[in-house]
Amino acid sequence: MAPRTKKLINQPETILQDMLEGIASAYPDVVRLTDSGLIIRATPKTTGKVGLVIGNGTGHEPAMIGLVGQGLFDVNVPGEIFAAPGPDRIVEGIKAADLGGGILVCVSHHAGDLMNAEMALELCELEGLENVDMVVLYDDISSAPKGSEPERRGTAGLFFVWKMLGAYAEGDVTLAECKALAEKVRDHTRTLAVAITPGTNPVTGQVMFELPEDELEIGMGVHGEIGQGRQKLTTADDLIDAMLPPILEDLPFTAGDDVLVFINDGGSMTQMELFILYRRVAQRLEEHSINVYSSYIAPYATTQEMAGFALSLCKVDDQLKALWDAPAIGANVRMVKP
Amino acid sequence: MITADDLKRMLQAISDLLNAHVDELNQLDANLGDGDHGTGISTGFTSASEAVITQNTPTEVLKVAASAVMNRMGGSSGALFGTLLLKAALTVKDHMELSPVQFADMLIAGKDGVAQRGKAQPGDKTMLDALVPATTGFKDAIINGQSFIDALAVAVEAAELGAQATATMQAKFGRAKFLGERSIGHIDPGARSTTLMFQAIYTYWENTHHGEA
Repeated sequence: MAPRTKKLINQPETILQDMLEGIASAYPDVVRLTDSGLIIRATPKTTGKVGLVIGNGTGHEPAMIGLVGQGLFDVNVPGEIFAAPGPDRIVEGIKAADLGGGILVCVSHHAGDLMNAEMALELCELEGLENVDMVVLYDDISSAPKGSEPERRGTAGLFFVWKMLGAYAEGDVTLAECKALAEKVRDHTRTLAVAITPGTNPVTGQVMFELPEDELEIGMGVHGEIGQGRQKLTTADDLIDAMLPPILEDLPFTAGDDVLVFINDGGSMTQMELFILYRRVAQRLEEHSINVYSSYIAPYATTQEMAGFALSLCKVDDQLKALWDAPAIGANVRMVKP
Repeated sequence: MITADDLKRMLQAISDLLNAHVDELNQLDANLGDGDHGTGISTGFTSASEAVITQNTPTEVLKVAASAVMNRMGGSSGALFGTLLLKAALTVKDHMELSPVQFADMLIAGKDGVAQRGKAQPGDKTMLDALVPATTGFKDAIINGQSFIDALAVAVEAAELGAQATATMQAKFGRAKFLGERSIGHIDPGARSTTLMFQAIYTYWENTHHGEA
């Protein structure tokens, strides 16, 4: 086995529970950890609203434990490291998110997340639990060609969905309207990611993929899946110049569009690098007469200490702008309009 | 005949063999995925073999094992190996012991469940590439009058060949799909762990029943 990289944990077996106890005790005014290992809001939404729940493999923090709170999720079902939670646990999460207005199970498109959510919905049906629906989200243009969007995987750009869906579900809206809103944001979002240094699986100690010192990988998944193309390491500007055109062409984003720009820190990028990258994105968008309504540069979906980033764009109308500007108060993901 | 106790001890044997192959399975997964299939499946089956101790019928043993695998392991492997056990549990309802034919039908039902849940086809470089030839080979051998242990040997060999063949395939399912052509040359970890399961059942049966059912 390859040497375990330096990580400050206790035992590999206790990583999940130790982390959950830590976030709950650090932010008691925002989240609570239940006995069954769910992260729920410290103060639930009022009854009658639609509940939003997501299950996911952990190891990608702040996704998703940091995204439970006002204007975000009601319940997160954290699975083992990089493995979606099983169906019984998702059903527990669905019940915990039941406020009387229906429950929307959000799925970032990966085989395990989808299969376990499908089984959870089948179990709900067996139990006679009604008004539960599921929405499958995806955004990564490198994972399937244009025209096969439903085969694409869910990556960093889904942050746009969670942020705006979370704001939407604070209002008096129906389950069907929430699902439609999530799909609208999804269908206006495109993402492409890059890795330059791999992360380490914290349980096995294994480096998640090999990447030569002088190369980078375009089209990385959030689990350290090896992507589609390797090339020689280049400058920040040249990299953005290569990444932006396929994103713009895919939607397409065109002159006059208003967009949100998100640069996700894959785990161990420096702020310095992220701002240097963003600078070029802003320059290029201006040349295309695409108007940046707002930008967000932060870690959302990380893969341990992987160095790399994802560039996501979302085309917004007045409805989505208002939802983006609404407050979001997660444990360590907090957004207010300046 | 195969009893609930046999099923419990088979699960224990599977768990023991998977535990002995954790690093190998993790390494296979590191080539194609996130490198933790061995850790995950060994955890899942260890907790399954512990959870079934107090169960007394074949269907309860398999159902409790399915739930443990799904919920302790999670991910796509938890869903698929859990579905395998759950569908098997449904076919042996109301039976206190199973004939070799019933055992074969149980495996086939589990295989069909996995295919339906994952929506993969043989040739997609998944556990099905070991599971389909192993279960159909086993059933054919039983129907053709071979002994239980000989039929298990057929299943092990078919699973091994199927798992080896995944090295030549391009992945069309799961995380490995995103590797495209770069997935060729590596054995699918789920096909390998499926093979180990049949090996564990074979060894258990050979050691405890001298091959007869």
